[in-house]
Amino acid sequence: MAARSTTRPLPGRHELPREFIAQHQRVRIISALAEEIAEKGYRAVTVAHIVKRARIARNTFYENFGCKEECFLAAQDYAMSAALERVVSAAGEIDEWPQRVHAGLTAFLTYVTEEPALARTCMVESLSAGPASVRYYEESQQAFVSLFQLGRDVSPHGGDLPETLEEALIGGVFWILYQRLTGPEADKIGELLPELTEFILTPYLGADEANEIATGSTDTAPDQGGGG
Amino acid sequence: MTGDTKNWPVSQNGLNASGSVSSVLLRDPANPPADSPEYPPELARLPPGRHGLPREFVAHNQRERLIAGLAEAVAENGYAGTTIAHITRHAAVSRRTFYEHFNSKDECFTAAYDTVMTQLREQVGEAFDQEDEWPEAVRAGIAAMLEFLATEPHLARLSMVEALVAGPVVVERYDEAIQSLVPYFQAGREGRPAEVLAGLSPTTEEALVGGMVSLISRRVFADRTEELESLLPDLVEFTLTPYLGSAEAAKVARQS
Repeated sequence: MAARSTTRPLPGRHELPREFIAQHQRVRIISALAEEIAEKGYRAVTVAHIVKRARIARNTFYENFGCKEECFLAAQDYAMSAALERVVSAAGEIDEWPQRVHAGLTAFLTYVTEEPALARTCMVESLSAGPASVRYYEESQQAFVSLFQLGRDVSPHGGDLPETLEEALIGGVFWILYQRLTGPEADKIGELLPELTEFILTPYLGADEANEIATGSTDTAPDQGGGG
Repeated sequence: MTGDTKNWPVSQNGLNASGSVSSVLLRDPANPPADSPEYPPELARLPPGRHGLPREFVAHNQRERLIAGLAEAVAENGYAGTTIAHITRHAAVSRRTFYEHFNSKDECFTAAYDTVMTQLREQVGEAFDQEDEWPEAVRAGIAAMLEFLATEPHLARLSMVEALVAGPVVVERYDEAIQSLVPYFQAGREGRPAEVLAGLSPTTEEALVGGMVSLISRRVFADRTEELESLLPDLVEFTLTPYLGSAEAAKVARQS
């Protein structure tokens, strides 16, 4: 435990707050897990792999996480929270619902493109990582469901739309991303923006209007920079 | 569900009191019985020792029982908690017999998965083909899928929840199985006016299939298979809307 870890000299002086270091360490372990998973798949990854990739002591791993599964759930939570934060800050400022969806989706796809390993952890491997993780995966989709549901107010036939529409729409979007993240074209996920926007908007607004907004012929299309 | 197979006494203490697991799994399409399509019920559980039956017949029967045994064991313990001992106990065969047929639990699971999916695909395909009009065919296909999964909750769980934790080989097949539904929807593009086609993207069908499967698998995951059949109108409307527009799609969805 603590006494044991002092036998390993700590590099440099630690003037940074303890909490900061701890947080930094967790993120480092989480990133290592995500990279290992992207390479080997969840099942094949061991704590030894994570420790090696993160270049930390095994003890340090266990000071932060009880087991691989716990580390995985933390990774899922970390990445999904980060992605949703971006969605909320991109979409929150926009008043018009269709543009709001477009902006939110842009932010989401940008995150997925920037962090493919973490995205894969959340959107592919989480389905194979046990019930807790599947439950988390499903719950994390709820934020999108709420965002899409606002479309019922602007839709001319909002009252007639099937109850499960939003659930199906987000399931469709996540499935497309699942396919891309496991295939050879993960770096081209950003290109899906127009078609996914159109897919989401069509049931509410009809194909024509959805297409207009999706192809960016409106002036509120958000800046797509940073997708590098 | 029809067929005598439903009542085969595969396991005395297993889950097939409902007839559920064995009815589908005892018909293993990857390895159909030599010439007799139906086993006499008294032979479904072969007595130990000599019985004068052809070798191949016995081997086939064992393989099917192992597959059914796996499905029962997984329904009871989940994939991760299932051991080869569980499988052989449900199948009432020896451990050695297990290894004559499969190298591992994963391999046995893959065989079970394939059996379930073949059955499911057959039923969906048949239902789809029986309708002349594409929108009705989609409706019939979805109805057949929901009916199958609602009637066989253990197999629904095996194929939609446990498959994902059963290792990369099965996960790959799971992905393929979902993608194999895409052509049913692509058929809807045929004869559609240009302005409708312009509104469809290369990934429309994939997204529709993904959305449909996610609705289904959520309910299977939550052990709410009894709700599956009530999803029919929603799923029909959801999948037809890009082709027919929402008013027409809703009409097909809500007909009875």
